Amino acid sequence: MKTTLYAMAAAVLLSLLPARSLAQRPVTYDQLLHADDTPQDWLMYGGDYKSQRFSRLTQINRDNVKNLRAAWIYQPNSMGEAPIESSAIVEGGVMYITEPPSTVTALDARYGTKIWSWSPRMPARLYTIGVHRSNRGVAVYGNTVYVGTLDCHLVALDAITGAVKWDVHVDQNDQGYSMTGAPRVLDGKVIMGVSGGDVGIRGFLAAYDAKTGKLLWRCYTIPLPGEPGSETWGPSMKGVGGGGTWGTGSYDPDLNLIYWGTGNPAPDYNGQDRPGANLYTDSLIAVDPDTGKMKWYFQFTPHDTHDWDSIQVPVLFDADLDGKPRKLVAFANRNGFYYVLDRVTGKFVAGRPFVKQTWAKGLDANGQPIMMPNTEPTPQGQLIFPDGHGGTNLNSPSYDPQTKLFYVSTRETGAYTISGRPRVNFPDFGGGGRMNLSGDDQYGAIRALDAVSGERKWEYKILAPAEVSTLSTAGGLVFAGSKEGDFFALDAETGKLLWEFSAGGSDCEANPITYEIGGKQYVLFASGNAFIAFSLP
Amino acid sequence: MPARPFRVTNDAKCQSGWGCSVTIRKSYTLAFVCFAGCWTLFLAGAPRATAQMGGPPADAQSASVHAIKGDPARGKNLFEQNCSSCHGVDASGDEGPDLHGVPRSLGDAAVENIIQHGIRGTAMPGFFELKPADAADIVAFLHTFDESTAGAVTGDPQAGKAIYQSSGCSGCHMIDGQGGSIGPDLSRIGDMRGPASLKQRLIDPGANLPQNGTGFYSSKWTEYLMFRAVQKNGQPIEGMRVGENSFVIVLKDATGRFHSLWKPDLRSLAKEPGKSLMPSFKNTLTSKQMDDLVAYLMSLKRAQ
Repeated sequence: MKTTLYAMAAAVLLSLLPARSLAQRPVTYDQLLHADDTPQDWLMYGGDYKSQRFSRLTQINRDNVKNLRAAWIYQPNSMGEAPIESSAIVEGGVMYITEPPSTVTALDARYGTKIWSWSPRMPARLYTIGVHRSNRGVAVYGNTVYVGTLDCHLVALDAITGAVKWDVHVDQNDQGYSMTGAPRVLDGKVIMGVSGGDVGIRGFLAAYDAKTGKLLWRCYTIPLPGEPGSETWGPSMKGVGGGGTWGTGSYDPDLNLIYWGTGNPAPDYNGQDRPGANLYTDSLIAVDPDTGKMKWYFQFTPHDTHDWDSIQVPVLFDADLDGKPRKLVAFANRNGFYYVLDRVTGKFVAGRPFVKQTWAKGLDANGQPIMMPNTEPTPQGQLIFPDGHGGTNLNSPSYDPQTKLFYVSTRETGAYTISGRPRVNFPDFGGGGRMNLSGDDQYGAIRALDAVSGERKWEYKILAPAEVSTLSTAGGLVFAGSKEGDFFALDAETGKLLWEFSAGGSDCEANPITYEIGGKQYVLFASGNAFIAFSLP
Repeated sequence: MPARPFRVTNDAKCQSGWGCSVTIRKSYTLAFVCFAGCWTLFLAGAPRATAQMGGPPADAQSASVHAIKGDPARGKNLFEQNCSSCHGVDASGDEGPDLHGVPRSLGDAAVENIIQHGIRGTAMPGFFELKPADAADIVAFLHTFDESTAGAVTGDPQAGKAIYQSSGCSGCHMIDGQGGSIGPDLSRIGDMRGPASLKQRLIDPGANLPQNGTGFYSSKWTEYLMFRAVQKNGQPIEGMRVGENSFVIVLKDATGRFHSLWKPDLRSLAKEPGKSLMPSFKNTLTSKQMDDLVAYLMSLKRAQ
């Protein structure tokens, strides 16, 4: 009797607070297909399947952004482990983030209050050489949250409670495999890439059944001896050599193709044991998600010896070229060049450097680099621009279909690249290294490029080479940050500074996103060990 | 852009016979010679001339080096395999911090412990498979970067202390809580710098400023770098950078006052390489007096 009374009282109270209830619901494939139609949510890594990181929200715009102020701060318990690199997902007022190294947390997106948190039990000894002990985010589909862990498990969690629905051991961490990227979910499938390229793994993309965790296919980035592409490796590397897939790819549902970048060949900085182009490292691959078959590839840096992983996020966009509508993919590469490819065929359309580079005279008609002499690492050290973290790194660019500009955070720096003894027995895998320039001889910038030509329209200079994603909005804004933990908003057309907030944190790798709850737009940043949401007063 | 550094990597050393067959003592001496060039870039201490000459004779330098128990040649290989992907091939830092001088300031045992067990709550993992002897070898390798091995103490520390007191040093520098706050604290300068670099500082204080790998934002940055800022109203401010981000620079002027400047509001902001708030003692002290002063500074070490 008492219980019933309490229940009735609770029901009455709840009915008085309708505006405060969160509107989360199972995420459908249809919602994901039309993610840009529901800008109140931020449904996936990259914002939509095109990875444009563009939001139609306009409440915060170039006229009022100067009034933006912190609404809440959430601080994970993982102090000092690694910087936050997570890109959050928001659906129906619930936010899903990851905390270093592999923790998933659900927050109330309005106040930043923790709802649940899940951490994997991982071995004390983890092989993470060349791998950030961090995580770039989850994927949400149905009532399930998907995450990859440092010890190379793909785990499905209940979105309401954080309970484990299934847990698949994707590959052996004690053979160098690890997972730090955000999964990509399609209709009933979870696509996942792996880290560990620097210790010579055989890289692959894998697809799992979203409901059961059953492996559907693997698409390897390193051919076995005798397979097509193996002739680009020489005789001594037998189906190993890196080609990690630690970024997150894009998807074109009409062409039914996934576009995913691949990492560097290993051993790095000394290519003598792997003569040839080393397919399919440092490439963009287009894969049929039903079969796992590679439809085409485009290699940016053949026989790379400078650690230029090509795991940047491919941005899909359409444009008219010579009066004809074209389906294109834009790619700002760690090697310092910006590329535009035909995303139907993988054929080169345009390309040019977007930062200082000293290793190629330019690109030929097929988009292949015309090499300069004396650019290989040497025992004494060969100064090459850009450095091993590249002209831009894992941080995502954005594309604004209104301005038709591509916004990318850039790194203007070089490094002395040093060749060492090639070592090819895991875990002793490597071939040299790099020696970075002084911070006073480097700088960073947020740049706006004409998406079709790559021509620079404007830049906003910042102190250190940046590794921060950009976010574009229909409010005429580009949100970005600096390595030092400054968040700022620029005018999307001119690059003029409109708002700034110093969060500190000493290593900011933020992925700003935006969403709306109860009629209020928020912009979320992260720096160091804190997530900070901003809104208008 | 710094001058291209002279370096000798592992490969070059192997070709020149620098390997495990060489005795520990000999390989350490060779390591010193080989890495002398690096110091000029990373620690900005050893004057370039000294580096090119290959440093002082082994006997002289051994006086300023504490006993190294590990094998730096073996340590270099172990470092390359286990540590270089985060800390850089030359241990000067990459995603992980600059390790030059770290065993010197933390002590060998502490660093060996960190190598084997990691630092909880940070990205530094424990290397459980490495044996204590392996960790000692890595520490021995890290010691090859110690600036304090460059040059030899030849002066008289007692005479040097008197020169320190009579030359006005304490107006700007502090030792054990006594002195000024304009320049860096010198209480443990003997652990951090070498005789050659200290003498060079007395002659040309603004040359070869040190690079600090843990100052701000994962890169190495120039310490004590002078800037000249001109505000919108035309008023110039000159000072040493003590803090900076993309929007703000904080300068410390010759009186020790901080100036917090909003960069977008400045008319101009320029680095002044080669300048220093510290005067040169080239014309006010003799070479012998400088050697005595250096001997005094080198005696300022962590209590053992």
